[in-house]
Amino acid sequence: MYNRNVSPSAKKSQPKLEWRSEHTSKEKKKDSHSIPILCVDCIPLFHGTLALAPMLEVALTLIDTWCKENKYVIAGYYQANERTKDFRPNQVAEKVGARIAENFSEAAMIMVDSTRFTMGCYEPILAIYDHHENKWKCRDCNVDSFEDWCEAQKITSALLEGRSYESLIDFDNHLDDLRNDWTNPEINKSVLHLC
Amino acid sequence: TSVQTDWRVNVLIIVLTEMRDKLRKWREDNHRNSEQIVDVGEELINEHASKLGDDIWIIYEQVMIAALDCSRDDLAWTCLQELKRQFPGSQRVKRLAGMRLEALEKYEDASKQYDSILQDDPTNTAARKRKISILKAQGKSAEAIRELNEYLEQFVGDQEAWHELSELYINEHDYGKAAFCLEELMMTNPHNHLYCEQYAEVKYTQGGLENLELSRKYFAQALKLNNRNMRALFGLYMSASHIAASPKVNATVKKANVKYATWATNQINRAYQVSYARCLL
Repeated sequence: MYNRNVSPSAKKSQPKLEWRSEHTSKEKKKDSHSIPILCVDCIPLFHGTLALAPMLEVALTLIDTWCKENKYVIAGYYQANERTKDFRPNQVAEKVGARIAENFSEAAMIMVDSTRFTMGCYEPILAIYDHHENKWKCRDCNVDSFEDWCEAQKITSALLEGRSYESLIDFDNHLDDLRNDWTNPEINKSVLHLC
Repeated sequence: TSVQTDWRVNVLIIVLTEMRDKLRKWREDNHRNSEQIVDVGEELINEHASKLGDDIWIIYEQVMIAALDCSRDDLAWTCLQELKRQFPGSQRVKRLAGMRLEALEKYEDASKQYDSILQDDPTNTAARKRKISILKAQGKSAEAIRELNEYLEQFVGDQEAWHELSELYINEHDYGKAAFCLEELMMTNPHNHLYCEQYAEVKYTQGGLENLELSRKYFAQALKLNNRNMRALFGLYMSASHIAASPKVNATVKKANVKYATWATNQINRAYQVSYARCLL
């Protein structure tokens, strides 16, 4: 007979907004401490439940290994929540961000604001958080954090129009079928092609 | 000439049949590829409705839901009108009307719609579940959890509901209660490797040596039920490694877990090799 008693639960301290995430990723960058950090790529992780540890640990480990082989470092974490109106970092984002910051002190945490997401991508919709004294502080959105926003806008809009997201592979897809490549070489090629 | 016309008609029939079959397969597999459904379904409805026979009604429903996903209220409205006309007073169509209101974020109106269904039919589970979905969409997780628990007291066999509840609990970091839901699912579905594997993930996340050992056992069980479940294989590796590395275990347990972890590593490497080989084919 199964034991139907509920085991003691670990409750969150306060009920917060529903925060289920859609896509999470990490960025890699060329290792350099004196010049500003440039994120050159990102890897989408999961599109289901985010608050479970095992697969996140596997992803972190595999991606870290791949980064080292390619002279990159995991420099940040992005997250887009399931509910459009929910764009604040939650416990998962803060934990993963902190973990990455352990290995890379200037790690950034990036939250996607889906309410402002359009096919034209005219506005940047990212809120960038930096880790200071164990807290995540949002950067001033008037500061330009992009290498070339105009170029990025054109490329992103073109990719959306072409429905390139239909072929986007995340880590969940990889776990479903190992042949699925989470480095997304085809999409990266399209990005270069559109530059 | 009549031969040319026949040829064209035959091609059209083949194309329509293919489109209809695609929609049917997506229905049966419960695919949520809404953009594709809208692409195929809209053309079918606009150009060839007369040729679809009675299939048209289930296609209207399928396309309507996909249209809501794609913010195509124009298309959703069209489908809804056709269904209202054909099935006046239908609870099923009322539910679709409610879903449209949800898509437009008119949650109070949607809730009223579902309440009116429940007034006529208090056992209508679909309407009750939609009301819970509204709570979820509004970010009212505690209320959604409460309502879903009440629902499950009455409809204790509803697997979809148990799974939804486990996800709600996981999102609230209430892993103990999530584990309870998954235990319910494993009990009624002992051959389902996915429930086993998810239960193992919850136990792993709860942490502590006892939970890690339990998680390893359930990852192993999931693998026994389906030896291609990569999450279970990775999970077995992770849990066995953590146990072996724990200062709290004795030498025997350590040795056994090192063995499990090594076995898992070899299986993982093999799986990657096989997949690379398949890539080349």
